[in-house]
Amino acid sequence: MSCELKQRERPGIINPIFTCQPCGAQYASIGIKDCIAIVHGGQGCVMFVRMLFAQHFKDSFELASSSLHEDGAVFGALNRVEEAVDVLLMRYPHVKVVPIITTCSTEVIGDDIDGLIRKLNKKLLKEKYADREVHLIPIHTPSFKGSMVTGYDVAVHDIVKAFAKKDKPNGKINLITGWVNPGDVTALKHLLSAMDIDATVLFEIESFDSPLMPDKSGFAHGSTTIEDLTGTADAMGTIALNKYEGAKAARYLESEFDVPAIIGPTPIGIRNTDTFLQNLKKMTGKPIPESLVRERGIAIDAITDLTHMFFADKRVAIYGNPDLVIGLAEFCLDMEMKPVLLLLGDDNNTYKGDPRIKAFQEKVDFDMEIVMNADLWELERRIKDKEIKLDLILGHSKGRWTAIDNNIPMVRVGFPTFDRAGLYRHPVVGYEGAIWLAEQMANTLFTDMEYKKDREWILNVW
Amino acid sequence: MDDVMKDRVEQLADFIMKWCLWQFHSRAWDRERQNEEILTKTMQLLCDEPVNLSTPSDRCYWVDAVYLANGFKKTCPWLGIMDKKDIKLLMQGLKGRIDYLTINGSLNQELTNPIY
Amino acid sequence: MPYHTFKCSECIPDRAMHAVIKGPGEDLTSCLPLGYLNTIPGTISERGCAFCGAKHVIGSPMKDVIHLSHGPVGCTYDTWHTKRYISDNDNFQLKYTAATDMKEKHVVFGAEKMLKQNIIDCFKAFPHIKRMSIYQTCASALIGDDINAVAKKVMDEMPDVDIFVCNAPGFGGPSQSGGHHKINIAWIDQKVGTFEPEIKSKYVINYVGDYNIQGDSEIMIDFFQRMGIQVLSSFTGNGSYDDLRGMHLAHLNVLECARSSEYICNELRKRYGIPRLDIDGFGFEPLSASLMKVAMFFGLEKEAQAIIDDETARWRPELNWYAKRLKGKKICLWPGGSKLWHWAHVIEEEMGVKVVSVYSKFGHQGDFEKGVARCSEGALAIDDPNELEGLEAMEMLQPDCVLTGVRPGEVSKKMRVPYLNIHAYDNGPYKGFEGWVRLARDLYNAIYSPIHQLSGLDISKDEIPTDKGFMTRQMISDVNIIGDGTTPIEERPYTGEWDIVTKLRGKKYPKLESQQQLGMV
Repeated sequence: MSCELKQRERPGIINPIFTCQPCGAQYASIGIKDCIAIVHGGQGCVMFVRMLFAQHFKDSFELASSSLHEDGAVFGALNRVEEAVDVLLMRYPHVKVVPIITTCSTEVIGDDIDGLIRKLNKKLLKEKYADREVHLIPIHTPSFKGSMVTGYDVAVHDIVKAFAKKDKPNGKINLITGWVNPGDVTALKHLLSAMDIDATVLFEIESFDSPLMPDKSGFAHGSTTIEDLTGTADAMGTIALNKYEGAKAARYLESEFDVPAIIGPTPIGIRNTDTFLQNLKKMTGKPIPESLVRERGIAIDAITDLTHMFFADKRVAIYGNPDLVIGLAEFCLDMEMKPVLLLLGDDNNTYKGDPRIKAFQEKVDFDMEIVMNADLWELERRIKDKEIKLDLILGHSKGRWTAIDNNIPMVRVGFPTFDRAGLYRHPVVGYEGAIWLAEQMANTLFTDMEYKKDREWILNVW
Repeated sequence: MDDVMKDRVEQLADFIMKWCLWQFHSRAWDRERQNEEILTKTMQLLCDEPVNLSTPSDRCYWVDAVYLANGFKKTCPWLGIMDKKDIKLLMQGLKGRIDYLTINGSLNQELTNPIY
Repeated sequence: MPYHTFKCSECIPDRAMHAVIKGPGEDLTSCLPLGYLNTIPGTISERGCAFCGAKHVIGSPMKDVIHLSHGPVGCTYDTWHTKRYISDNDNFQLKYTAATDMKEKHVVFGAEKMLKQNIIDCFKAFPHIKRMSIYQTCASALIGDDINAVAKKVMDEMPDVDIFVCNAPGFGGPSQSGGHHKINIAWIDQKVGTFEPEIKSKYVINYVGDYNIQGDSEIMIDFFQRMGIQVLSSFTGNGSYDDLRGMHLAHLNVLECARSSEYICNELRKRYGIPRLDIDGFGFEPLSASLMKVAMFFGLEKEAQAIIDDETARWRPELNWYAKRLKGKKICLWPGGSKLWHWAHVIEEEMGVKVVSVYSKFGHQGDFEKGVARCSEGALAIDDPNELEGLEAMEMLQPDCVLTGVRPGEVSKKMRVPYLNIHAYDNGPYKGFEGWVRLARDLYNAIYSPIHQLSGLDISKDEIPTDKGFMTRQMISDVNIIGDGTTPIEERPYTGEWDIVTKLRGKKYPKLESQQQLGMV
């Protein structure tokens, strides 16, 4: 019985779990109101990321490109960023925030976007847009470092750093959610409101689940404001739910403005949600109300119907964003399942120091593997070589074929989940998320039993 | 060219523009060859003259010419009562018009690119 | 000059000549937008990059190939799961994609060594696949890795494998089209002439410029094989690597999407004397004419006529059913490239649907020549459209449906205009006679969706009808048709199956086989 922590051994990737850093920065940027980012690189770095967001949310988001072409790759392309800023500001009069996101190509070329922004602040913004509030924010996200997860972490930090300014205490907390769905934000805000806590949610993306309106006004966009971001320095504390997605910003606020930070845990499952509420209580002094005791009870009631009867000893593989994977694994353990394989998809070398991973290593009582810097081939090869047997896969849509071709039931969770309808609407966090996850897993297993005629009669009575 | 002729050339040119693709090869030298070969063969078909089919290229031009000749006959009944001399003149006019639309008067800036 | 200036683009003088409205009496010498020029930064253009044009559009439909991108992981991830180009080998090319995962140390010290290990690892992972296509990216181009040299070394060491290298970094050209060009030329330079597939017929073609979206290529190839024509290679939908190495042996190149693959046809003509025949695989009339042209080249007119007659008799009544209900509807035809001219005229001729606008993300002026020539007066043609111009055009033109991609389609949805996926299709294939009926059906289903009708109601202000529990599409579409006495009895909505492609796989072609038995070469 052991939990092995290993690295992908091949230098290359077959079927990636993550895309690269600029995508994460772009995801952070669309959470801000009146913001359109310019990605400094080839057009594909934007076009495909927009398509990815559109596939996941079934909605379109605005992101611009500096459209690097051959001449720029040879001679430098700062002139194209300069033009992009001007063209964007002229045509989008509401835009106030313009993150400028670098990519592999423009980092290799060595374009000095920080210097350019200083120049634009002095010249273009002063001369042409004097009456307008415009913030240009450099975000360095070379694609050959980290992953979309680190890109998100870097961008949240850089954006917060660009705006946070100490004034007087605002009595709020900062809640940095990490890479979540609109449904998660709704669930988190519900918990905050039940505890009567006023929070600045970074980022306020409930509006990504946008309506189709008779007056055609229903376009999707984040709604975190400049004031929200500025006020983060005046909060009584910051809770960053994810260690790898947004914690950097929490630490910055702590060291720069003495805003105390609590990092984690990702409130997936009952236990982690309990901890989250305790943290909220500790930070704000507000009690946990009876309504949440009841809500928790409903979740436990629902999950009790499933665990020992259906979930016990089911072998699960989980891949995706690291905090999500770890949180799901913890929840699976609480539900008597065996997360036998966890795939963490980038080269972040701090995973081995993560206390949650250490706890797996010390405490699990079955064989478990955690592969860092993994790709989806690490999953598929193990299945094909019969190294593992799985009852369930938890992960995003990029692994769909592994599940389909190997006849393993799969619950789509994480980003992106384009091959199932409306998943962005449902939370995985909080008690509500715990119910949703558990019931999705159960129903997926049930459907699979019926398709495979594998003791499908069990559900004849339940 | 008199007005009737002009109008007829225009009708034929419209048919080509709408229903054919051969006149839009990528470079000027291709278009010159396509226009010349296919319209010559079309003229030969319309005038019941023998058509050279000796090479694969000839056959390829010919299939577009057959389509064109049939299309012309179907959409322009006046062709049936024209004599061959006039058809030749008409086709000459058409060639000039198509060359103008696709080469000489074309706004396509890539026609003169020396490579594919 | 009929240039159209969008209000939203008045502030960008460089956009002035990128859109035209075809006025009365206008022809191509006065009415043609600029095209394929460097994108204006910050416009929120819809263009992708040259890498995607090479790897994602043309390279990846090749089915028996490991597709490896040399660069950071994003280029590979982002172009994966974005298309519906299927294949008859269990969709290997859809399922697997590889990246060398270039990191900072490789940027500094070079990545050729790890590229080599990557190639070896990939072949080890898929022992049944012996062919690979390697795609350069921005990062590997800028650090100057010699991919060709590495590939050659591996081929020397592993004689049973063959590797193709495509050097089309993302920045290589104004749009996807830069990559189309580079991969065409790279393929003919490196691979054509290096393999001799078996010739099984007197009549041999390459089918070029179709990517088997939902089975399009397979539908067309079925027609050719029914006539007794051997389709030596498909460039590149459902295409096989070694077949494509033998392109030089065909008698005729049958070309669909000239935008993405005319280069290879031009070069095959120049180098091997193979003629290029441009065809239209969409729409009853253009498709019939195209099949007949290919047939005539070989003297197979009778065979073609039989197919055309059969198919037309089977499917015309169903097309007519939809055409009657689509007549007068307006669409924006907003694809990437070739469909702007493949569909501009025939969708109007055969379905009565008015094409009020055409655009192309990556097309050249040559594409707009075809598109503008084929669409009707009043149509708005836009080169390299951007977000705001698309919205302004929709407001101006009030289309009933927009035919475009996933993401712009979501924009159109919010404008309360249903969209049909023109890149990946809704329920294709759309090529072939039956396919064309499927397009008509999908258009009809989009336009007459009862939910779409509901989307315009404001329950806080409007008079809301409370006398109905439901509406069907026909209750909406047939208001002016029911009881007009003109509907021929045989006209009917689509009666085909959901999947019309799988059954073609493994099908026997007696005409092809009889030639083989005679030992024809």
